[in-house]
Amino acid sequence: MTPVPDTGLTFTADNKIATLQMTNVPIIDQPRWPAMDAETTPAFMDFKLVFKATDQPVKYEDAARQYRFEGFKATAQLEAAFRVPSIDFSFKTDPLETSSCDFAVMGSGVNGKYYEAVKSS
Amino acid sequence: MKVTLNPECAVRKLSDCEDGNDQGPGLKLDRRHLIKMGAASVFATLLPIRPLQAQSEPQSCAPAIPQNHAPSNGGSCPYPIPWLDKNGNHNQSPMPNVELSNIYHFKGKLARCNGFHGMGTDNKGNRLAWGNPTTDYSYMAGEYWAARQTHQAIFAHT
Repeated sequence: MTPVPDTGLTFTADNKIATLQMTNVPIIDQPRWPAMDAETTPAFMDFKLVFKATDQPVKYEDAARQYRFEGFKATAQLEAAFRVPSIDFSFKTDPLETSSCDFAVMGSGVNGKYYEAVKSS
Repeated sequence: MKVTLNPECAVRKLSDCEDGNDQGPGLKLDRRHLIKMGAASVFATLLPIRPLQAQSEPQSCAPAIPQNHAPSNGGSCPYPIPWLDKNGNHNQSPMPNVELSNIYHFKGKLARCNGFHGMGTDNKGNRLAWGNPTTDYSYMAGEYWAARQTHQAIFAHT
């Protein structure tokens, strides 16, 4: 996980569209992952990720594991650029609107010590 | 999270492009063009947390050694989900009815997505497909509990 500056995540007024945008995120290029001895190479990425909520609500909850997620199914699209300086490789995706994903949800979650304290809506 | 760049995926079904060791006879000689971008922003590597574009040396969230007999309440790193690998890239993929947060003792805004499909171009002009079922992004924005106090933060899993 990577800490995000306050300006990196924005929402529309109705909270139905979220945009996560970051630059120069340090990542690793690990072509042989998940092999135990898979070598890594430092790399960087810039990306813009846009979630758009649908009107279809979802609620995932497990009292035994003390988590609850309430939100909406969503769409998500991604535009990104990757750089691996040591091998002079870079890659840029096509524009945001050309991408798609199989699963996306957005909403709010509580777990652990907050599970009992925050009531389900 | 991994973003997989594989030119063969441009002409094959995504299911044909699952992760493997890529050491089969079909591998093209130009390995660099077959690069798989294991963009693993690993949960465990929150030690130390590295603020993006920070102007100063990042502070570690590891527990400090107390001075003058002060109490020790642990570090400010978020707790991982107890039943999952603390390395984010080994966590379960987002899907219905699973824990979607990467942080335990968390409340706030949360979104997860995976299974991206798309195309792009490398610096040699090659058109490549990207994305696979584990291409997984998220944000978590809110409050978490660590070191016996609350913290406000925004995190992304990329």
